Amino acid sequence: MMSLPFLLFACGLGAAWLRQRAVAMGFWVAGMVVMLVLFRIHASSVVNIAL
Amino acid sequence: MTGDLSRLLNALGLVLVSAVLALALTDELWFGDLPCPLCILQRAAFAAAGLGLALNLVFGPKPSHYAVTILGAAAGAAIAMRQIVLHIVPSTGSYGDPILGLHLYTWSFMIFALMIIGCAVMLLDDRQFARAEPISTRLKSLPLLALTLFTVLTLAAMVSTIALCGAGLCPDSPERYLLFE
Repeated sequence: MMSLPFLLFACGLGAAWLRQRAVAMGFWVAGMVVMLVLFRIHASSVVNIAL
Repeated sequence: MTGDLSRLLNALGLVLVSAVLALALTDELWFGDLPCPLCILQRAAFAAAGLGLALNLVFGPKPSHYAVTILGAAAGAAIAMRQIVLHIVPSTGSYGDPILGLHLYTWSFMIFALMIIGCAVMLLDDRQFARAEPISTRLKSLPLLALTLFTVLTLAAMVSTIALCGAGLCPDSPERYLLFE
């Protein structure tokens, strides 16, 4: 599952190589969403610091 | 700034992003410093930010491509900041060995911040977005090299993550490659 953002960004790069700009942007958006969801999963604990 | 100069600067930026991914993979494969989940997500954010520079090389400079890089770098900076905050209190430990006195996640945060500043500076010049000059459909050597390098390293980071974590989530402190167990 952690490799999914890389797969989506690589697909975006592949679309760029094939000159499919809209497809590349679509893969980038999907990759960002997956990456941020994974970040949310891994940043669940409260950090005990006073800012 | 002409479109060609913009592409040259974007190619150099993409080479630098590729160098970061290459250093991270070298640290993992050569020195055995296996990445934590937040470290892997920072690598993914470099791939996300680099994709914007790659789009500039292939399709010519556009504000939306710089937005891709800025948003990718902002996400990466947030992930790196989370890891810095986790270890910022003395005696809470750290992850990995420091390089030149700073841990990789601190370097990562600074590079993401520099990428955002760099894109903002590039966006200041509107002349690169004018279509007065013909845009070649063939990439020149440096942009082609940068794009190839970045594609290979993104795929290498993906393969490394599959080997390290398998199909699930990565352990907090990985000690071995789960795929080979």
